[in-house]
Amino acid sequence: MDIAADVLAGKVAAGARAIRWLDDRDPRGLEVLRHIFPHTGKAHVIGITGPPGAGKSTLVDMLIAEQRRRNRKVAVIAVDPSSPFSGGAILGDRVRMNRHALDEGVFVRSMGTRGQAGGLSRATYDAALVFDAMGYDVVIVETVGVGQDEIDIVSLAHSTVIVSVPGLGDEVQAVKAGLLEAGEIFVINKADRDGAEQTQRQLEMMLHLRQTKAWNPPLLMAVASKDQGGAEIVDALDAHLAHLRTSGDFARQSAVRDHHQFVTLVREQVAARLLAGAGALSDDVRARRLDPYSAAKALILHVEVRS
Amino acid sequence: MSDVPQRPIRVLLAKLGMDTHTVGVTVIAHALREAGMEVIFTGLKQTPEMVANAAIQEDVDVVGISTLSAGHTRSLPRLAQLLRDKGAGDKLLVAGGVIPEEDKPLLTDAGVQKIFTMGADTREIVSYLQGWWAEKRRAEAAA
Repeated sequence: MDIAADVLAGKVAAGARAIRWLDDRDPRGLEVLRHIFPHTGKAHVIGITGPPGAGKSTLVDMLIAEQRRRNRKVAVIAVDPSSPFSGGAILGDRVRMNRHALDEGVFVRSMGTRGQAGGLSRATYDAALVFDAMGYDVVIVETVGVGQDEIDIVSLAHSTVIVSVPGLGDEVQAVKAGLLEAGEIFVINKADRDGAEQTQRQLEMMLHLRQTKAWNPPLLMAVASKDQGGAEIVDALDAHLAHLRTSGDFARQSAVRDHHQFVTLVREQVAARLLAGAGALSDDVRARRLDPYSAAKALILHVEVRS
Repeated sequence: MSDVPQRPIRVLLAKLGMDTHTVGVTVIAHALREAGMEVIFTGLKQTPEMVANAAIQEDVDVVGISTLSAGHTRSLPRLAQLLRDKGAGDKLLVAGGVIPEEDKPLLTDAGVQKIFTMGADTREIVSYLQGWWAEKRRAEAAA
């Protein structure tokens, strides 16, 4: 069973298995990535972030429907928090996307954060690459949504959608987190609620304070539970993608992401190898015979002398 | 901490049929989470086709069905067949809820590997899944 070849052929079971390996840090996953990487770089990766209660999953469900109307194949990565104590998780986002359950052009994958902070899991980027190589046109990544410090999505996605809800007061929080500077499309969901106009005015004001860049982020209203606003959001996403391509930013961002991944992998693997042979130093640090700083210096010096 | 390969058991929980009682399946979901498992809940009113598709996409190890209304003698075997057809016959299929004793042999023959009686202790369910998982990994390592 050649998983990499099956992934490139778009086979669901193979893609699912490759993502499992990557999620589990099984070395077979990295082997698959090596083979499929040349076939990535086409999909539009869209991030959906916002506080709990913003209705992200329902919004994603609406966006899937709109993308399908435009004949695009859609993959969704729905991230939910893993318990820091047990390591377990309840991943319930796909409950909101049941109407697409039998659509062969839609693939929904649920992932736990597995100890990673920032709103995503370590393997989210890898999973997006798998979907890209499988031929999905759009990869929607729905972040955890437990707070306002979820900025990992900004560097992962080409287009980040920030979702707010009237009356939560998170406009100020969004400014604090830097989301207002980094998001490309702003959506006020549940816009039929009281306070929607006020929230809209507040956000508009804050977006005006934002430094002028080439892309002017639109502020859109939606009521995802009633399927309202999806077309406008996808229009904005398409416009942003076109902007990225013509400005060269699409390629530039991918290059930054790939290099960051390279550095991360090197850092992890080198640290693992070095520490594997540092038993005596580790013991000294644990027993407080040696401080961590001297121990680290000794280990690195040892490596440099040898090389 | 972050270097040890993590392999939590992934379990899909779903309700087949038209009943809307979620207390049982919610209690089980939380127990499995406390035991370190990743629980994907696909929701209510699922058909065997929807569950099979989700099981493949999520690459789960276990499919757990809760059924409190009639129809399980058709829907569970159909689900087992779909999983086999899609090459996912090695996933563990278990069921719980209102399942009369006389239906159990039919379900077992059709591919449901374990049926938990109403009110089964969640510790029993957790230890059954963990035992199955440990055995499967042993067999994989030996191969």
